[in-house]
Amino acid sequence: MNHFPQTWGRPRDDVYGAYDHSHFQTAGPQQHTQSPIVTGTSVVAAKFKDGVVIAADNLASYGSLARFTDVKRIRKFNDQVVVGFGGDVSDMQYLDRLLNSLDVRENYSTTETPLNAKNLHTYLSKVMYKRRSDFNPLWNHLLIAGLDGESKPFLASADLLGTTFAAPTLATGFGAHLAQPILRRTVPDEASVQNVSKDEAVRLVKECMKVLFYRDARSLDKYSIAVITKEGVELKQDEKLENQSWAFAEGIRGYGTQVN
Amino acid sequence: MASVFSGAPPQGGPGYSFKQIPTAAPSGERQHGFYPYTDNGGSTLGISGEKFTILAGDTRHTQGYNINTRYAPKLFKIGGEGPENKGARIVLSVVGFAADGDALKERLDTIVKMYKYQHGKPMTVSACAQRLSHILYNKRFFPYYVHAILGGLDEEGRGALYSYDPVGSYEREQCRAAGAAASLIMPFLDNQVNFKNQYEAGSGTGHDLQARVAQPLPRNVVEDLVRDAFTSAVERHIEVGDGLQMMIITQDGIEETYTPLKRD
Amino acid sequence: MTSIGTGYDLSNSVFSPDGRNFQVEYAVKAVENGGTAIGIRCKDGIVLALEKLITSKLLKPGANKRIATVDRNMGVVSSGLLPDGRHFVSRARDEAAEWRRLYKSPTPTSALANRMGSYVQMYTLYSSVRPFGVTAIVGGWDSEAELPVDGQVGSGPKVGSGGKKDGAKYGGPFLYMIEPSGLYWGYYGAATGKGRQIAKSELEKLSLSEGNLSLEEGVKEAARIIYVAHDDNKDKDFELEMTWVSSLDGPTKGRHEEVPKELREEAERLAKKALEGDDDDDDDEKMEE
Repeated sequence: MNHFPQTWGRPRDDVYGAYDHSHFQTAGPQQHTQSPIVTGTSVVAAKFKDGVVIAADNLASYGSLARFTDVKRIRKFNDQVVVGFGGDVSDMQYLDRLLNSLDVRENYSTTETPLNAKNLHTYLSKVMYKRRSDFNPLWNHLLIAGLDGESKPFLASADLLGTTFAAPTLATGFGAHLAQPILRRTVPDEASVQNVSKDEAVRLVKECMKVLFYRDARSLDKYSIAVITKEGVELKQDEKLENQSWAFAEGIRGYGTQVN
Repeated sequence: MASVFSGAPPQGGPGYSFKQIPTAAPSGERQHGFYPYTDNGGSTLGISGEKFTILAGDTRHTQGYNINTRYAPKLFKIGGEGPENKGARIVLSVVGFAADGDALKERLDTIVKMYKYQHGKPMTVSACAQRLSHILYNKRFFPYYVHAILGGLDEEGRGALYSYDPVGSYEREQCRAAGAAASLIMPFLDNQVNFKNQYEAGSGTGHDLQARVAQPLPRNVVEDLVRDAFTSAVERHIEVGDGLQMMIITQDGIEETYTPLKRD
Repeated sequence: MTSIGTGYDLSNSVFSPDGRNFQVEYAVKAVENGGTAIGIRCKDGIVLALEKLITSKLLKPGANKRIATVDRNMGVVSSGLLPDGRHFVSRARDEAAEWRRLYKSPTPTSALANRMGSYVQMYTLYSSVRPFGVTAIVGGWDSEAELPVDGQVGSGPKVGSGGKKDGAKYGGPFLYMIEPSGLYWGYYGAATGKGRQIAKSELEKLSLSEGNLSLEEGVKEAARIIYVAHDDNKDKDFELEMTWVSSLDGPTKGRHEEVPKELREEAERLAKKALEGDDDDDDDEKMEE
């Protein structure tokens, strides 16, 4: 017995040996996200002559489990910018709050011009690149849609590596394989953007959402779609896929009733 | 005061069974399953002439088998005025990991602009070239995953071309191809620019053969070489295509051209 | 100034034997020299107005705004030492942002007033600092709708209560005034600065506690009160600065914004007319006499 209350009632070092602290240690090397957890699938977007259309379904998957079916992945920043999020949902929420605080700060002054889509893309791509450089990536692929400083349609992408690129049509995830070829059929280059009307663009993007629902197992027939023009943002978050036809499935092994 | 209430045992007394302070984790060590690089494909090429330098790059941007976009420039004006780099006389081309390329471009551009503000004269290409080397070398333990080529005119007005590896090793050259199709274009350049394996006609055979001596090529010849190099690379490499961007740096400024390439 | 020469006013945080803190009282004096600032709590929003005294003809009209936005739904107007006011605003913005970071929702006006009250009070406690030379009026509209949590991703269960209380009332307009001592009260109408006495008596006439005054009327009253409270003899030029916050279905959609130019000019026209009207009446009376 000694005079230190902290040691009373504990195994004596001289009998049992010193306590093995390695069992008690919780702090290992600091770990960052190694892989996304709850994820959203493709985001699809296309420019047209007066603006941009962007869409993403309302599903958040937990691996192969369709975990949340009411997740809005198209987020409005202001009257001329919308961001579409693919990838990790919690990182999306972090970015959403980041953009929210940015918007609050931007509106301290009413005299300055609001941030446009180009500005926001630059900002977000730097956030993404910084985080990847810290080995602590935000596991997302973003599409930033809206108008640039000259009120012309703007569409660009930023991903978890900080990679950025712009194109007349863009799609993330599965959409890059399935939707992009469909989109490029109508909008092959920057010049053809002028020939596409708003209705055509909306129809085109909706068609892509349908193909993605047919072929992407981690997708949903409920989706959000936004149209950004000079008139502002028109965001619908509870759309349902229309005019589905599963007739094609009959001829495909695994889809229909036939076994071989 | 605080020492009276500290839970620590007196010096030299018996230790506690449980340490009060958890042993610190090995500092700074991190474990990761995240790979911070990707290859965005494409190729670049630079050739310097007597009074000009040409830099060229295709505009395709890829990731795996996907074409991200058909127009993503790999050529950047460095220095000059404002975001459009008006009056710039230096061009940087980067190929490899595009995000690092953009970051590198922005750093170099800022430095060159700051140089002019601080010294009241534009940075020379040789100074810029060495600075670029330092930027790359400083990040050698987490490199900018790019193959950079820097072009401009030297103090005598001659074409200057510098090429780099990702960690800053650099060299002034007559010509250099980089990126996905470098191994396809470089031998062509060796032959057509530096006249490798070319001999003076009628100089004989065996030891009598006289190597054809390389000399600076005229601009139109170089432009044609660049176009030929890329149209051929497009045929043989899937990551090259869509468009060819060229920047020709002369005494009068930077001329920029764009030629469509095959999009298949 | 009975305090002078007693020594009890030389250091902050020192009480005089009769229980006063002179440094704080001197700070109040600093406020009493500032341009008049008022806030009105209307039934569907808040109006903040300021008599911005023009100290030099070389200042650009309409520039150098003094009423600040702290969060989307909240504004601050202050009277007294300008730099102290800006520091107050800067801290208020930090508080609002920190609240958002913690609770993922906008700061209630009452909470911000409380935090700022505590902050200002701390500057009365230490000899190393001096109290704030401003009295600030904080006005905001706490959303009446059930707001989603910041970054919220879905809309919750479609059946059952979903944790929502039926018929519960949320939000509304809130107005607080924070003084150099850190004291703050909630007000129907608040006034500070040079013309506060006149402004207060004018505010009292509006019967604000009955909650009948509409926001648009509030704007016009605010303009009139600033004009009435302005002392033509001492200060020649001033600019009227006005901001407002309305309900979600009102003109600002719950945001703190500048009053639109047209409306402000209309309010100013009416204010000037009301003043002239007073003079006319006086003249008429004299004529009749």
